[in-house]
Amino acid sequence: MLDDLSNQFLPSTVGGLAAGAIFALLALGYTMVYGVLRLINFAHSEIFMIGTFASLFVLTTMGVTGPLTGFALIGMLLLMLVVSMAAAGGAAVLLEQVAYRPLRKKGASRLAALISAIGASLFLQEFFALVVIPAVFDKAGRNTTGVPRLVDRDVVFTIGNANVRTDHIIVIVAAIAMMVLLDQIVNRSRMGRGIRATAQDPEAAVLMGVNIDNVVRMTFLLGGAMAGVAGMLYVMEYEVTQYNEGFVLGIKAFTAAVLGGIGNIRGALLGGFALGLIENWGAIFLGSEWKDVIAFIVLVVVLMFRPTGILGESLQRARA
Amino acid sequence: MLLEVNDIHVYYGKVAALHGVTLEVSEGEIVALIGANGAGKTTTLKTISGLRPLARGRVRFQGEDISKVPAHKRVALGIGQAPEGRGIFPGMTVQENLLMGAYGRKGDVSGDLAQVYEIFPRLAERKSQYGGTMSGGEQQMLTIGRALMTNPKVLLLDEPSMGLAPMLVAQIFDIVKEINERGTTVLLVEQNAHQALQLAHRAYVLETGAVVKSAPASDLLHDPEVRAAYLGGDLGVA
Repeated sequence: MLDDLSNQFLPSTVGGLAAGAIFALLALGYTMVYGVLRLINFAHSEIFMIGTFASLFVLTTMGVTGPLTGFALIGMLLLMLVVSMAAAGGAAVLLEQVAYRPLRKKGASRLAALISAIGASLFLQEFFALVVIPAVFDKAGRNTTGVPRLVDRDVVFTIGNANVRTDHIIVIVAAIAMMVLLDQIVNRSRMGRGIRATAQDPEAAVLMGVNIDNVVRMTFLLGGAMAGVAGMLYVMEYEVTQYNEGFVLGIKAFTAAVLGGIGNIRGALLGGFALGLIENWGAIFLGSEWKDVIAFIVLVVVLMFRPTGILGESLQRARA
Repeated sequence: MLLEVNDIHVYYGKVAALHGVTLEVSEGEIVALIGANGAGKTTTLKTISGLRPLARGRVRFQGEDISKVPAHKRVALGIGQAPEGRGIFPGMTVQENLLMGAYGRKGDVSGDLAQVYEIFPRLAERKSQYGGTMSGGEQQMLTIGRALMTNPKVLLLDEPSMGLAPMLVAQIFDIVKEINERGTTVLLVEQNAHQALQLAHRAYVLETGAVVKSAPASDLLHDPEVRAAYLGGDLGVA
């Protein structure tokens, strides 16, 4: 057992960071929407799924069948990034418009909004399984779709016995760059100030001239775009997707958001990386089939001692 | 007339909060709205700033009907509200809170910021402290300062004395007077009727969602009914 630990600790850490980066990107969307609307956007996992298929669409359309290198690879990654962010961000904005805004305008209860969210989630899954996947990708809608390898698994350097590969570096660097960008937008831009004000006191925000509808739209756009980045990186790293690919991942990302303190952007990052690492470390002892169990045990234990998560709730502490 | 509120009716669900409130505020005035808890004072302010939808009636500002203008656009017209109690942004610093007041404004606002710090030296001392960690009185000052940063033509003040020690109340009222003397019209909602009437030029008395009296504030201070109901009888003049 101790042998396992010393042999596998560093490799698990690398894998855990890559998984955690994707959890964190996805957790941002849950946490931002919760911060502004106090709504669990259950359909966020489908926004991620749309992001994976947008990247797959780029690979198929560009005729990628094997690994690329150099500028071709960078260009392809950037193209996937842009298309996935646009598709997922756009889908998130549309989702808000169709599934949440009408309820909000009528002053419906949060339970109604949650049910609408679950409905939207199922609708999007089925819409992809029955319509989009067969029509666009010419595949059976409910089968797992393999993704051609884009990045060679070359070892760039090693830390102890852990191989750090090109794909790991791309995932972790891209995720961190996107998080820094989001953090800057939320903390430095005018719209970001509007988002933070709305999260802290919506009525006072209106009295300052903040247009809440715009803030909500922008929140879904940013959260959706981050889910798009997550989808693109996921497709590149794990080389697979399907109509319900977001389901388990979405629940884990939500867990990460709660773990860090829901509504808190930096909490989502912390929660994401923590969850990725804990899952992979735990798997050393119990085997990787226990990953999901480990993740949720951790959640329960943390919440028993810190009900508001590691960093505490709410966007209001985003800078604290 | 700067602000005209004409026969407004407002409902919370099926319950009427206001049925037919009419009032006017002219430029340069301090007008007080007094009345018991639940009389509709706060609802009246929130309807003027657009936070509550009108069922009937009209709100006019500088002669224009603004009944259909959404709340976030009324700020730019010159209606600034300091909300009741702790309507500050707790996770922003004092300075960030004040700059939120200038959210919809273009151009340089550093002159206004300096002016707010001049009126509230306490806020200047606490510039980089988080709003949520300030005392009740300081938070009250912050909501007023933040409303001033919207550059209002009329400042709607909702219970500025609520929960404050008597000394602080006197201080806040002095500041309201100073703000008015600097040229801002004030519509003040207060439960602390005695002090409000001493400060205001005119006042309206609200009871269960309607105006029951309106007069120069000094008249109301000596009105037997008002004294019995809101000024604690004879003790009120002590």
